Amino acid sequence: MPDLTAVFEQNAIDAAAGVWRIERTPLAVRSAIERACDGLKNIVMSDAEFLPPQILAGARGLAGVILKPDEEQLATAAVGVTEAFAGIASTGSICVSLGRPLVGVTSLLMPLHIVLLPSERIIGRPRDLFDPTCLNGDALKRNIVVITGPSATADMGPLVRGVHGPHRLLILLLE
Amino acid sequence: MAEPFTKSAAVEVPRDVANKSDKKRLLRAIRMALEIESPAVRRNTQEFNRGRYAATAAIPDYDALKDRARAIKDKSIAQLPELIQTLKTTLRARGGHVFVAATAEDACRYILDVCHWRAAKLVVKGKTITSEEIHLNRVLEADGIEVAESDLAEFILQVADEQPSHFVGPALHYSRERITALFKRKFKTDLPLDTGEALTRFAREKLRNKFLYADVGITGANLIAADTGTIMLVESEGNIRMSSFLPPVHIAISGVEKIIPTRREMAPFVELLPASATGQGLAVYTSFLSPPLTDPVFLLPGKPAKEREFHLVLIDNGRMKMREDPVLREALDCIRCGACLNSCANFQTVGGHAFGGEAYSGGIGGAWEAGTGKLENARFSELCTGCTRCVNQCPVRIDIPWLNANLGDRLNRTEGRAPLRAAAARLLGAANEDRSSAASKLFFGNYHYFAKWGARLTAIAHSFNNPDLARTVSLSDTEGRSKPMRIALERWVGLDRRRVLPAFPKSTLVKTVKKVAPAAGKGKAPKAVLFAEVFTNYGMVQRGVATVDLLRALGTDLVVSECAPEGRAALSQGLIATAKAHAKRAMAELDRYVTEGRDIVVIEPSSLAMFRRDMKQLLDNKDRFERFRSRAFDPVEYVNKVLEKTGRNPTDVFDISRSPVGTDLYFHAHCQQKTIGADAPTTNLLREIGFDVLTTEVECCGMAGSFGYKTDYYDLSMAVGADLFNQIIQQERSTGPRALIASGTSCTEQLHAGFDRPVMHPIELLAAILKR
Repeated sequence: MPDLTAVFEQNAIDAAAGVWRIERTPLAVRSAIERACDGLKNIVMSDAEFLPPQILAGARGLAGVILKPDEEQLATAAVGVTEAFAGIASTGSICVSLGRPLVGVTSLLMPLHIVLLPSERIIGRPRDLFDPTCLNGDALKRNIVVITGPSATADMGPLVRGVHGPHRLLILLLE
Repeated sequence: MAEPFTKSAAVEVPRDVANKSDKKRLLRAIRMALEIESPAVRRNTQEFNRGRYAATAAIPDYDALKDRARAIKDKSIAQLPELIQTLKTTLRARGGHVFVAATAEDACRYILDVCHWRAAKLVVKGKTITSEEIHLNRVLEADGIEVAESDLAEFILQVADEQPSHFVGPALHYSRERITALFKRKFKTDLPLDTGEALTRFAREKLRNKFLYADVGITGANLIAADTGTIMLVESEGNIRMSSFLPPVHIAISGVEKIIPTRREMAPFVELLPASATGQGLAVYTSFLSPPLTDPVFLLPGKPAKEREFHLVLIDNGRMKMREDPVLREALDCIRCGACLNSCANFQTVGGHAFGGEAYSGGIGGAWEAGTGKLENARFSELCTGCTRCVNQCPVRIDIPWLNANLGDRLNRTEGRAPLRAAAARLLGAANEDRSSAASKLFFGNYHYFAKWGARLTAIAHSFNNPDLARTVSLSDTEGRSKPMRIALERWVGLDRRRVLPAFPKSTLVKTVKKVAPAAGKGKAPKAVLFAEVFTNYGMVQRGVATVDLLRALGTDLVVSECAPEGRAALSQGLIATAKAHAKRAMAELDRYVTEGRDIVVIEPSSLAMFRRDMKQLLDNKDRFERFRSRAFDPVEYVNKVLEKTGRNPTDVFDISRSPVGTDLYFHAHCQQKTIGADAPTTNLLREIGFDVLTTEVECCGMAGSFGYKTDYYDLSMAVGADLFNQIIQQERSTGPRALIASGTSCTEQLHAGFDRPVMHPIELLAAILKR
C-alpha cells in the first residue's frame, strides 16, 4: 500500500497547491496561518466541522482576522480559511463541504485560500467519494466542492493561475 | 510574431460561416480557419490530446471504467422519461423549480420569464454550450437584460461576437496575440495586455462586480442525478462556482440527456470526464450541488434582500426524437469531453469554426447539430474522414465515424436524383438507395469498378506492345499523357490532379499470383488466404507479391482470393446500402476459405479495419462478423504469428544486412491500423530484427483514404500532412536520413507528396531481407 499522505502531498504540489505538514494543535495552526499570511490583513475563517472547534482558537487571535465580517469585507478580504472534510491522494485535491456559515465565500472569493486537512481523512481516488462506506458516509455531503490547486485558465493563451477563484491554495496537513 | 487579426477582404468572419448547410460555406469556412485560426487550434488541441493520453493511462481500470460509464448512459437514455419525472419530484420536494422545455424557444421564454419575475437587469453566465444551442444571449439582450459571460473563453467570444469552436475550450482558436489585439481594439485601452496574466487580470477586474451584483446566475450541468437532484459542475476558473452561488437566483440549463439515475453513478464520470477533456485527474473545481443552496444570499450594501431560488431548465429541443432514432440515439451518451475533437487530425488543423456548426463541433458535433436542428446543418460532418482515431478515445465508446457515415448517407439522399447520374451509379453497381449521391461520392465509393476497368485497359495496351498508351491509361503519367484524363476526372468527380494515384498495373495481383504455383504447405503448416482487396490488386501489386513470397517461404499454405470490394470505399462516402452489399459479397467470397480453416490476411489497413471493426455495423448477423473478425490479420502481424507458431526467432529468418534501405527507418502506421492495434507488431518485429525504428506521433496523415484525393479538401489534407512532414524533418535533422515505411496506400501517397522519396511497405522490406 503506498503512503496515501505522501502521494497526496506530491500530487497537490504538482497541482500548484502548497502543502505544509504541521502538528494538530491550535498553536501550530496559528503560527502556520501567520507565516502564510505574511502580514496580509483581512483574514476570514469559517468554523471547523470535523476538527475540534478549538483548533482555530489560536489563529482567531491573529491581527488581521475579521471575526464577524460583513459582505463588503468578505468581497475584499485577502485570505479565507476553511476546513476540508477529505483529501484525494491520486489528484492532490481537497474536498470542502458547503452550507456551513462562510465556507462558500472563504473557499472562493479570497486570493489566498488556506485549508486545514486532517491527514487521516485522505482517500485514494475521486470515485471513492461515491462509496457510501467512505469516511463513514461523510463523503456524500449534500453540497461539496472538490478543489485541485488554485483557480486557473488556459483561455488567454498560456496557463495562468489565479482567475476568478483563489490565486493561491495552501493546504495545512494536520498530522 | 503576432498573427494577423484584421481580416483580409477574402477572409470570412466565423459567424458568417457558422451555418454550413450548403457546401460552399463549408469550403469558405475551411479557408478562413486555415488562414487565421489554425496555429492556435493546433497548439491547444494537441496539448489537450497529449494530456489525455497521459491522464487516461494513469487510470488503472480505464477500459472497464469506460464500459461502466457507457452502461450507465445507455440505461439512463432508456429510462429517460421516468428519470425526468423522478428528478422533477426530487427537486420540487426540496423547493427547486424544474421546467422541461420542448424547444429552444420555450427554454428561452421560461428563462426570460424568471428574469422578469425577479426584475433582473444583470445576468452572469458560467460556461454553457447548451445556451449557445438555444441562442439564449440573443433573447435576453433583446429584452434589455445585460448578459455577462464569465468563463474567460466565452468572454472572448462575447467580445468578438463569435460562436464557440470547441465545447471544452470555446475560444481555443484564439492565440494570446489575437486576444491582445481584440481587447485593445474593443476596449480601446492603452494597457499593454501582452501576457496571459495581464489579459486574465483585465478580464477578472471587469467581471468581479458582475458576479457580486448579478440578479441571476446561469450555468450548465455536466451531469444530474435524478435520485438526489445533485448537479455536477466541472470547471477551472471559479466562475461557475460564483455564478451558482453569489446571485440570489441560479438557473441551470441542461439537455435532458445529462440525467443519470443516481448520484452514486457519477463515480466513473468524475474520473473519465476531466481525464478525457483536459488531461487532468480532476479539473480545479468539481462541484456537486443539490440546490437550492442553504447558504444565505450574498448581500452587498445597497442590494435589495432577495430569497434564494433555483431553476433547472431541462431542454428537449430534438433530443427525445434523437432517442427514437436508431443511429442518433448513441450521440445522447456524449458527455461533451471533447476527446473526439482533440484526437482528430482534421479538427486539430481547422478547429470547430470549420469542422463545426453554430454550437457543436467536431466528430460528435454533426449528430448534435442534426439532432437539435436540421440535417443540412451537419454538412460539416463530411470532415470526419472515418479515420477512427477518436473511437478509442471516447469515454463512453460512441462509434463516432459510424454516426458520421450515417449523416453522410442521409445527406446523400437529399441530393435529388439526376437521371444521368443515377444511370452511371447503376452501372457502377451502387445500391438503389445510394444513386442520388453526388458524382464524387459515387466515384470514390465505387472505386473498384473504375480500378477494374483501368487495369483491364492498361493490360490491353500492354498486350498491343504500346507502352505510351499503357502509360496513358494507367494514369501514371500525370503531367504528360494522362493529364487530359486527370483534368476530366478532377472536373467530373473531384479527384485532385495534384495527387498521384497508384498506377494501374500491367497484371493485377490475382493474375500475377495465379501464374505461380502455390507452394504446397506441409501437414501442420499455417493456412491462410490473402484477401485481394482493391488497392493491392489494382494498384500496389508489389506488396501483394511480397506478402505471398514471404509467407509461402515461411511455410504458410497461402492462397489468394478473387478481388472484391469489402465496403470500405462505399462506407467512407456514406453509401451505406452499397457498403453493406460490398461487405456481404466479400464475406461470400471468403467464406469457403474460412470453412477450410484458413486465416485471412489483409494488406490495406483500411480494409483490414473493416473486418476487425466496421463490418459489425454493416452485417446483420453478429456471429458472422465475429467469424471473420477473429481470423483477419495484417500481413506483418501474420508473419509474427507464423514465427511464433513455428518456434522461430525473427533473427533466424531475417538478415538485416540484406536491407536495401539501410537500418534506420521511419514507420508511419495507418490511422485505422492504429485504432485496431495492428501497428505495434510491425514496429516490434522490425526492432527485434535490429532496425532502428522511429514512429509517427500524428493521429492521421491527412489522406484518410479518399479524403485527401478530393479537390475540395486538398489544401486541408496537405495542412494536416504538414504535421507529419515536420516530425520527420525534425527527427531526421537530429538522427540523420531514414527510409520511409508506411502500410497504407494513401499514407504512401501523402509521404510521397511531402518528400518525393520512395516509400516502402513493411512487408516488402521483410521479403527483401529474408534469409534464402
